[in-house]
Amino acid sequence: MPVLDTVNTKIRMQRAGRIKADVTLGERAFLYSIYASVIAFALFCLIPFWLVVAGSFTPEANLRLDGFRLIPRAFSTYSYEYVIHGNQIGNSYLVSFSVTIVGTLLALAVTVPFAYVLSRKVWISRPLSFLSYFTMVVGGGLVGFYILVSKWLGLKDTKWALILPYLLDPFFVFVLLAYFRTVPEEMIEAAVIDGANDLIVFWRVVCPLSAPIIATIGLFYALRYWNDWWLALLFIDSSANHPLQYMLKQLQATTDARFYIGNPSPRFSTVPNYGVRLATVVMTIGPIILAYPFVQRYFVRGITLGALKG
Amino acid sequence: MTVVQRVRRDLAKNRYLYLLALPGVAFLIVFGYVPMFGHLIAFEKFRVADGIFGSEWVWFKNFKFFFGSQDWLRITLNTLWLNLLFMASSILAGLLLAVFLNEVRHQLFKRVCQSLFLLPYFVSWLVASMMVWALLNSTDGLVNRTLQSIGLSGIDWYIEPRYWRAILTFLNVWKWGGYTSIIYLAAIISIEGEFFESARVDGANRFQQIWHITLPLLIPTTLILVLLSVGRVFYGDFAMVYGLVGDNGMLFPTTDVIDTYAFRALRRVGNFSQAAAVSLYQGVMGIVTIIVVNKLVKTIDPEKSLF
Repeated sequence: MPVLDTVNTKIRMQRAGRIKADVTLGERAFLYSIYASVIAFALFCLIPFWLVVAGSFTPEANLRLDGFRLIPRAFSTYSYEYVIHGNQIGNSYLVSFSVTIVGTLLALAVTVPFAYVLSRKVWISRPLSFLSYFTMVVGGGLVGFYILVSKWLGLKDTKWALILPYLLDPFFVFVLLAYFRTVPEEMIEAAVIDGANDLIVFWRVVCPLSAPIIATIGLFYALRYWNDWWLALLFIDSSANHPLQYMLKQLQATTDARFYIGNPSPRFSTVPNYGVRLATVVMTIGPIILAYPFVQRYFVRGITLGALKG
Repeated sequence: MTVVQRVRRDLAKNRYLYLLALPGVAFLIVFGYVPMFGHLIAFEKFRVADGIFGSEWVWFKNFKFFFGSQDWLRITLNTLWLNLLFMASSILAGLLLAVFLNEVRHQLFKRVCQSLFLLPYFVSWLVASMMVWALLNSTDGLVNRTLQSIGLSGIDWYIEPRYWRAILTFLNVWKWGGYTSIIYLAAIISIEGEFFESARVDGANRFQQIWHITLPLLIPTTLILVLLSVGRVFYGDFAMVYGLVGDNGMLFPTTDVIDTYAFRALRRVGNFSQAAAVSLYQGVMGIVTIIVVNKLVKTIDPEKSLF
């Protein structure tokens, strides 16, 4: 800790020095313009989000009359009620959640052991790392991929078509690999002397030591599954298999959402075509926004690690 | 010793490691290597019923058709031009945001702003396209209504291709500016505090410290980011362009990229051979760029080269 203390004191001194330095008018103007730019960009990021949230709580009639407004003139939850009382939203939530959960777990189960083998100093790890590297440089191409999934694997219009293609990303393999190399060799040797085989070493020694990085990679996979619509666009037909993202795509393409939303109740005789889209957007990004405060640091860490690797 | 013997002996010794690698190897073979057979379709008059090995070979006819059309040049230039715009704008934005954030001493303010910067990274381009629609749709969008309220006439954004390079560039900064700034912030934090201290002792103000210390020390990071994106310069951002533009043909003159073109050939037109020819062309150009970039990296810093 004494090292940290000196660092902290240093930082404090540095800060004190900096603040004292901003005395002249020019320096102050410079500092204020920095703050102004930061605030401007933060608003630039936020406003699109605010606009759809505000719009989703605006009555349809006001959206058509006043247009989209940052501060709506009236409030209503009709759009949400309309969407929730239909059957498509339940379907899509189920598809999105199950694909994300099953996909993330399977992806970790494939990626993490593979990266571990690459990190070991055994003969096989070099050809394997070439095998994964080569796919990053030379792609299979869109048509081969399409025929593989739809014809040869016969996964057209199944949830597996939304899961299997993302099980292993070589980029994440290399991030994990770099981390596994930092696990002290002595710990692995000690476990081997105690009679552990490679499976036990991996599961009992390496995985617990690497839990934070594995969680980070898991979150990146989960985000990819949740946000994906490309696979659905290629392979999914029936609306029972539409994930939330693809539901948005369908709503975007239609001018009458009545049949797609599937709301038979006579209580909802008017169809809020704008509102339905906006409410679905909010319900699609809702889980991410709710999780955001808790997972943000993992993503920041992952982005930094990935960049160092690159 | 042959490779087979080598593997067999190694297999006996490390069988559990082989077991751990097995799912990954199976995945790479099936999803990484098997699809490469699809490139053969580029040389065929492909019929789904006859399959890859039963269709008629036409050799370079598909390529002749593709390079003989107007589309070839248009989608290639669009892809390159958009990628260059994206690269320049997001690197510049990330750099500025990181340098600015680093000057902010108010910790809570800094953290809130950083969270907001990263927020767009977490949503898909389809979600983003709904936000864009709320802003730009010609009748009720916020932008047109605002223009009208100050007496100007609205613009039909979705039928005017000339605005879309700028719109896409802005949105790319929106989505990736915060992400890039995190990479730069990590690089700034690793700069030695002594540099700044001695600069201050010599009377350097805030701006001079940024100009003479921070920015020069961020050049290596910038080079890496530039090279990474140059390596992918022939790959358009399908999710972005298709998510925002979709099948809106009016915007194709400025937005259609190689990836969206190949997708339409495959899924809208159903011409497998044409799609395969386009994506093989893209793959070959991709490999050529990576070889060139690698040569460049080797001359700058041999340790960072890929092969």
